Amino acid sequence: MEFKLEAHRIVSISLGKIYNSRVQRGGIKLHKNLLVSLVLRSARQVYLSDPCPGLYLAGPAGSPAAPPQQPGEPAAGPPAGWGEPPPPAACVAWPETEPQPERPADPAPPRVGAAEPAAPVTGAGDALRAGEMEEAEAAWRRVEGPREAAEGGAGVFAGAEGPRGARRHCGCPPGGEDRPGALGACPRVDCRCAPRPAEDEPPAPPAVGPRKRGAAGVGGGPAGGPAPGSSPLKKPRRNSEEQPGGAEEEEEMETGNVANLISIFGSSFSGLLRKSPGGGREEAEGEESGPEAAEPGQICCDKPVLRDINPWSTAIVAF
Amino acid sequence: MEEDIDTRKINNSFLRDHSYATEDKTVKLWKVSERDKRPEGYNLKDEEGRLRDPATITTLRVPVLRPMDLMVEATPRRVFANAHTYHINSISVNSDYETYMSADDLRINLWNFEITNQSFNIVDIKPANMEELTEVITAAEFHPHHCNTFVYSSSKGTIRLCDMRASALCDRHTKFFEEPEDPSNRSFFSEIISSISDVKFSHSGRYIMTRDYLTVKVWDLNMENRPIETYQVHDYLRSKLCSLYENDCIFDKFECVWNGSDSVIMTGSYNNFFRMFDRNTKRDVTLEASRENSKPRAILKPRKVCVGGKRRKDEISVDSLDFSKKILHTAWHPSENIIAVAATNNLYIFQDKVN
Repeated sequence: MEFKLEAHRIVSISLGKIYNSRVQRGGIKLHKNLLVSLVLRSARQVYLSDPCPGLYLAGPAGSPAAPPQQPGEPAAGPPAGWGEPPPPAACVAWPETEPQPERPADPAPPRVGAAEPAAPVTGAGDALRAGEMEEAEAAWRRVEGPREAAEGGAGVFAGAEGPRGARRHCGCPPGGEDRPGALGACPRVDCRCAPRPAEDEPPAPPAVGPRKRGAAGVGGGPAGGPAPGSSPLKKPRRNSEEQPGGAEEEEEMETGNVANLISIFGSSFSGLLRKSPGGGREEAEGEESGPEAAEPGQICCDKPVLRDINPWSTAIVAF
Repeated sequence: MEEDIDTRKINNSFLRDHSYATEDKTVKLWKVSERDKRPEGYNLKDEEGRLRDPATITTLRVPVLRPMDLMVEATPRRVFANAHTYHINSISVNSDYETYMSADDLRINLWNFEITNQSFNIVDIKPANMEELTEVITAAEFHPHHCNTFVYSSSKGTIRLCDMRASALCDRHTKFFEEPEDPSNRSFFSEIISSISDVKFSHSGRYIMTRDYLTVKVWDLNMENRPIETYQVHDYLRSKLCSLYENDCIFDKFECVWNGSDSVIMTGSYNNFFRMFDRNTKRDVTLEASRENSKPRAILKPRKVCVGGKRRKDEISVDSLDFSKKILHTAWHPSENIIAVAATNNLYIFQDKVN
């Protein structure tokens, strides 16, 4: 858990540096901004993937060899940290997270779950282990279709998403909750917050907060207490759902923190972080560039993570 | 001046007493001279330089040169402008003493000293789409003997050796030096600390030395897959990288130098410390450039940083290091054991013990 905190802290520091570089004398330093963006990317990957401790931090890491991308391999066993409520500090870090609208009360503090952005996302480990929000977003769009199928058997899974689904962090009124596949009547045309079709399902397993989907079902039953039997069922579903959920959570968590930066950086983002060495990002990029291009300067729920993660590209593009 | 100034002295009879500097994106060639006499006794000017009315002059005298306090003057003689879009990080004079190169983040240009309005671009790593940028050039230097060969280092910790005879645009390297990353040392800051801040050919031309944030490495030009020697400059900072990132110290660009015989290498550190490594005996020493222990003729005492556990007397603990006192620039006389060390706004010159 502390790695997430560290990653979060590093993300904040990095964004601050990028912002300051725009106003300092002498012009933007390409080299420094490039390095800051690399740190930002590393921190974000850790943040999203919630890997085994020590993966990204220097230390006696047991298995640091595993790079953040571990496609196709379910988390062997989630770290012990899963299923535990994140420390309060994490909550405090996200003051702007919006209050949840009505939603069946969930056992664990819902907001606390917010601080654990990628726990669920990475819970599945596999697809999102790539850890890139872009892929998450793209995958989320692809998932819209199969959502209907997913709805039926969502079960716990659905419950886990419930609270989150009801609320749209972008402020769009909840709607279309039980309409599978419906993008919902989000008033903002460019808002890509996902409706949560499975919201009418019973709440998530008790020991796990709504956000902690990771705990709820990821690979094999972490400490939490979700019905073990449902784990295998959850996992495949979770994969497809995790991504958008994770994306949402990530957005939500980042938004409050970087609203200022977002407004400053404004225009469309893409860039180095998108075109990371992994080849698999191409399709994500392709899908992305369309919507991104369509909404330059929009400050909304859509891809705030991208925005704040990629602000350096503005600096580069600014040359 | 807030712009970064990168200076090199040209030590050659043809261009003696000339040095050149860059201000961000312009290169200037300066003539540096010393003056220790000045003329006195002009007829048409008085001592303060004001013109005298010729009508008031009744006698004539011959001006004479009188000694004065030594003064160093620098006069710009050439300005090489408008060839760089990004910040210049290196300039290197070629062994032919007719050309030199200037390197910025993405391009390297070749100049002739006599031609200020034209340069040749010899390296260009700017991607078509800037968003695909993954590395920048951090330092470049010509080979000391082969005027067609140069190296440049990157922010990814790699060095490329190029031969200008191969093609006009040296985008294809002749040699590529890179050490595989040690996975056990992976951290958020791995990329930053592997960025090379300085690259220097040995005087012999057989080796290159690179400086990254925590180490100095010596490479044999004939072996590209790893350095032949690695020296830890201040490994105790490895656990402090996050704080150093926060206070921007991790972006400090330290230089490194060879001694005249290529047997000792030197580089700077924090707390006004600088380090020397003897390549033959494998011994190293940490010295401090400070006013207290730099009375003339005083012998520098080796310093030691305590990394944990009990701190001995005279040792300094890592947390007491002053990170605002950094030695980024050092120089070693080409043939004597005399070094120059720049500590913030003081320049220290040390020499070997004279027995």
